[in-house]
Amino acid sequence: MRTSEEQLRAMMVAGMDGDAAAHGALLRLLVPLLRSFYRRRIHDGDDDIEDLVQETLIAIHTRRASYDRDRAFTAWLFAVARYKMIDHFRRRRRMVAIERLEDILVAEGFEDASLARLDAARLLHDLPAKQAEAIRQTKINGLSVAEAAEKAGIGESDVKVSVHRGLKALAARVRGEHQ
Amino acid sequence: MRTDELIRSLANDVPAVPRSALGQRLIFGMLAGAAISLLLVATMLGIRPDLGSAIYSFSFWMKCLYCASLGIGAIGLTARLARPESFGSRWYWLLAVPILLLAGISIGELAYTPPADWPAMWLGNSWRSCPWLLLLLSMPILVGLWWSFRRLAPTRLRLAGAAAGLAAGAWSATLYCLHCPEVSALFVLTWYSLGIGLATAIGALLGPRLLRW
Repeated sequence: MRTSEEQLRAMMVAGMDGDAAAHGALLRLLVPLLRSFYRRRIHDGDDDIEDLVQETLIAIHTRRASYDRDRAFTAWLFAVARYKMIDHFRRRRRMVAIERLEDILVAEGFEDASLARLDAARLLHDLPAKQAEAIRQTKINGLSVAEAAEKAGIGESDVKVSVHRGLKALAARVRGEHQ
Repeated sequence: MRTDELIRSLANDVPAVPRSALGQRLIFGMLAGAAISLLLVATMLGIRPDLGSAIYSFSFWMKCLYCASLGIGAIGLTARLARPESFGSRWYWLLAVPILLLAGISIGELAYTPPADWPAMWLGNSWRSCPWLLLLLSMPILVGLWWSFRRLAPTRLRLAGAAAGLAAGAWSATLYCLHCPEVSALFVLTWYSLGIGLATAIGALLGPRLLRW
């Protein structure tokens, strides 16, 4: 069973009130959490990971005063763990191998946005050039209709009609209807 | 050492941590440093002899309130930066309020003073020593705050160092008011702020080295 925020927080607060048993139990529960946190982000030997886990446990123990019991415990915990990880990299003064970079940077948003852009580019490729250009300028590059019209050297109503027809064709394509 | 042995030894020593532990620790470190700074003001510089009458003057309270309000804001910021989580910076523009108020008073002063007297008002009698004395007086407070941080968990070390430096500078300037006989707002706005700024810069410079954990 996965331990929840409420459980961990209750044990932390009990430990801060001086309950040594609760504090020990909390530290033991944190070990697997921290191991998987670091394993997912650092590709070193298990010894290094274990050193980091121990250092983090010591920091959690000695710097408990920095936890505000009215705030989320896991946010505090992972902020400490993240600091220890960055400090680990800094101490090693090591370059992070480029093929591991995506594991370390939290890149979900970036990835989604890039995929969406690729999809849009592929769809637009199949439209007539004028419609594709009108959509690209107004919907992706963020130009106004007037600016797009001036850039393409055509009338504003022409741009509007091109956008309208192009979007209609794209919607049909996305729904799976081929012309 | 194996991890479960480590946990056993850590769990042997679990003192209670009160709810307000972080604030208490910062205040204690700051007061311990401020006591030394106060001692330095009293022995090395001397309390201004006209303090008894000065406390009825506007300029005395203007100086004290300017420095103390900066000090309160800075210690609040320091307390926030002593926790590891990141946070919104919504309220910290309030630190600019005392500076803007003092700038307003300075403009009023300039308007009521003939331009020929402006340099004398701006430089006072002690502009050469004032920023350096403030920097010197801020050091004990900065050391006290550094002690406070040893049980806390700052993750933005440069910023935390700068905030501690700002707090140390502002509170040392508040104590310096007991010595300094200058009266003009323009003087305080320039030379006090310069001293406080120097302390902030020292804090920012040393933060990444001293606050590491």
